[in-house]
Amino acid sequence: MRKMSRESFQAGVVGQRWLTGHVFEISFERPRGFSFIPGQKVSLTIDDITRQYTLINQPDASKLTICVGHVPDGRLTPLLARARPGEIVILSAAAGFFIYQSLGRKAVFVATGTGIAPFLAFIRNGVRDFCCLQGAINERELLYRDEVEQAAGEYIPCLSAPESNGPFWNGRVTSYLEQRLAKERYDFYLCGNVDMIRDAIRIIDQHFPGSRVFMETFF
Amino acid sequence: MKIYTGTGDRGKTSLFSGERIEKNDARIEAYGAVDELNALVGAVVASLPSVPEGGVVSMQLTRIQSDLFRVGAWLATSAGSPSMAYLQPMDQEDSRWLEEQVDQMQSQLPELTVFILPGGHSSAAWAHVARTVCRRAERRIVSLLDQNTLPDDGADSLLTYVNRLSDYLFVLARYCNYLAGMVDQVWQS
Repeated sequence: MRKMSRESFQAGVVGQRWLTGHVFEISFERPRGFSFIPGQKVSLTIDDITRQYTLINQPDASKLTICVGHVPDGRLTPLLARARPGEIVILSAAAGFFIYQSLGRKAVFVATGTGIAPFLAFIRNGVRDFCCLQGAINERELLYRDEVEQAAGEYIPCLSAPESNGPFWNGRVTSYLEQRLAKERYDFYLCGNVDMIRDAIRIIDQHFPGSRVFMETFF
Repeated sequence: MKIYTGTGDRGKTSLFSGERIEKNDARIEAYGAVDELNALVGAVVASLPSVPEGGVVSMQLTRIQSDLFRVGAWLATSAGSPSMAYLQPMDQEDSRWLEEQVDQMQSQLPELTVFILPGGHSSAAWAHVARTVCRRAERRIVSLLDQNTLPDDGADSLLTYVNRLSDYLFVLARYCNYLAGMVDQVWQS
């Protein structure tokens, strides 16, 4: 594998935007010499507390942006939620291999919650014609829905506790995979919590043999 | 951070290039042997004699451990996959570096004219174990190459590297005994 740089960067907060009641974007000035491939993540450190986040901005953007699920009793996200412009964080060099690879097969993106982040990075780098299963509790929690839906060839919102009767799959992304997705060979890209990833892999092994799977897991 | 996902609980795993394969696949056998070798190299590092030269050897072995990750990644990637773009295949320079270290150690050792028993200082014993696992890894890689499922780019250099690494580990075992003030035990036929 290519060597991963161990260098780190100081970056100042430049903006913050709440997407829902418990998810927000936060942006940082782009340090000189920082580069990444869409889908890669950084380790972000404040006060010796470190967590990993996927960058969602365009590769050549002047700001670096991440999407954060706020955990009120967590250690890092409350600090990020309170961060003011100019506050400094430490970012590692970008790392990871959850990267879109055009392989000639239909790509199926499966995301839950903030797991949509690497797919946004793909989309903002020009990836199109994919199928996206986006999972959330209800419509309001479908992060970046318009942008994802516009870029996708096929977009399936999967809601586990919908609040209306709109056009969506009533259930989890994994139940859609198991019951509705046409049984073909795909390139699956999975990003979300470990339970979703584990269930999705079981279904893919059972119903979609010969498919390729790339995954990024949240715990 | 948790490390268990449960995605491999039913006997399958994912390659770096995305394919789901059985855990007893020849490819998993190959990079599993490389992983085992890497762990044994770590055991050598942990048991090196406490002499200044041990620090030099430790640095060499740390580099080798990193290089074995490159070997493992290469083995975990299917030919023709876009994932190959993220590999850093072994090249002849890697093998030449091993040869330089072998020559350097060997220049300080008495010439070997007889068979020796693997053992001696604990670091030497671990180096011999690592050598045998390196040979097994080499056999598994050769079997895998026969199946033509590995990238062509780097195959020759990889085989050269693994072959040279077992030479290195043999000489290292002797060198560890030398650093520890121990004499290799000669095979009595």
